[in-house]
Amino acid sequence: MIRFENVEKWFGSLHVLAGVSGEVKRGEVTVVLGPSGSGKSTLIRAVTRLEPIQRGRILIGDVDVASREININRLRQRIGFVFQAFNLFPHLTALGNITLGLERLRRIPKAQAKERAIQELARVGLADKANTVPAKLSGGQRQRVAIARALAMDPEIMLFDEPTSALDPEKVGEVLQVMKALAKSGMTMIVVTHEMGFAREVANTVWFMDEGKIAESGAPGLVFGTPENPRLKRFLARDGDH
Amino acid sequence: MVQILQDYWLLFLVGQYPHGPIGGLAMTLFMAAVGLSLSFPFAVALALARLSPYRWLRLPATAIVHVVRGLPLIMFIFWVYFVVPLVIGRPVGGVETLVITLVVYEASYLSEIIRAGILGLPKGQVEAAKALGLGYFPTTFRVVLPQALHNMLPSMVSQFVSTIKETSLGYVISANELTFAAAQVNNQLMTRPFEVYGLLALTYFALCFALTSAARLLERRIASERGGGLSLAAAPA
Repeated sequence: MIRFENVEKWFGSLHVLAGVSGEVKRGEVTVVLGPSGSGKSTLIRAVTRLEPIQRGRILIGDVDVASREININRLRQRIGFVFQAFNLFPHLTALGNITLGLERLRRIPKAQAKERAIQELARVGLADKANTVPAKLSGGQRQRVAIARALAMDPEIMLFDEPTSALDPEKVGEVLQVMKALAKSGMTMIVVTHEMGFAREVANTVWFMDEGKIAESGAPGLVFGTPENPRLKRFLARDGDH
Repeated sequence: MVQILQDYWLLFLVGQYPHGPIGGLAMTLFMAAVGLSLSFPFAVALALARLSPYRWLRLPATAIVHVVRGLPLIMFIFWVYFVVPLVIGRPVGGVETLVITLVVYEASYLSEIIRAGILGLPKGQVEAAKALGLGYFPTTFRVVLPQALHNMLPSMVSQFVSTIKETSLGYVISANELTFAAAQVNNQLMTRPFEVYGLLALTYFALCFALTSAARLLERRIASERGGGLSLAAAPA
């Protein structure tokens, strides 16, 4: 479903992605782990061309993301993206955040868009917050609205960029729960996270990234059980803190 | 001073209306409001053009803003006063001249305010819109501008204050506004310039100070309402 072929990217002289290759199959959850600065966020941002890449290819199905021939906005509608900082639109209510895309992109009439948005809010347990603005929501609630906003577009793929890193510890669980339910429903997902528990429980595949490359990959049992890469061993040993 | 106010308050307020054209404070406010309002769409267009990735939009818009900001308002007033009648082939009154001038002049200043408002938004806002698949226009008009303009309301009120003061230059082309009214009063009384222009100063000051205070209040309110929500910086790891 998503194929990375020798993806390379530089920020100035910094080689953030130094030849990433890998594949995410339909319906599978891939968790990307790694120290900060290892390129994991950049990698999933590149999937929706929020970051352009300089070398290699990223294919979604058989569509090359970097191709100038494709309509990038059309492609982005097929891919949900959840940000670390939520990035809700603060001038709109929870409902308005969700209906904006439906009305402007799906051309769904107002009343129907509203109905659909409330369904999505109910799915993340926030139907009663439809008319609340983001500033009045907790971090966990904001992130769940952000997930609902992405899901409302009926994406084939969901990308999560450290979705719980900006949350208070006691709010992490409610977001992970939504993500687990989503994984169970068969959504194709790439999740950049530090939540090892989530990786163990939900991931089909774990990628450990280091210095712009996938240093180790495999089923979570394998990667966590018998790590080979020395950086990964050290990374896992530190995991007690999380 | 009180005596002058008692005798001439109506002239200060509305000029010779209803026996002649409306003027005075009413016309000052009218010209400032209309000038700034009409300049608004141009200001938005200039701001967007200056932030455009396309050089052919960015360069001319940047040039316009720099040229206008680099020249005194009175010069524009003379230009419009003498050039516009040649172009349209009929004489143009003082009020029209001043309003046209203000539209040109304020569009540049206002565009800088709007541009700052757009640049001040967290990067994550545009990214979130892009990630949804929204194109340039819905992103700009549904996500970016509503927030940028809201955040910049206090600066726009301040710009309105500047515009009010700038309308006093309309005096030189006989636009019938507050300063013009004061000059008329002064001409009638002949011997009381200090009081008359003192009164004029007080009127401008009361108006502008009230508006400036309102802007400050607005600023505090916007800061507090957004403090809870928006300022979480988007920092991709």
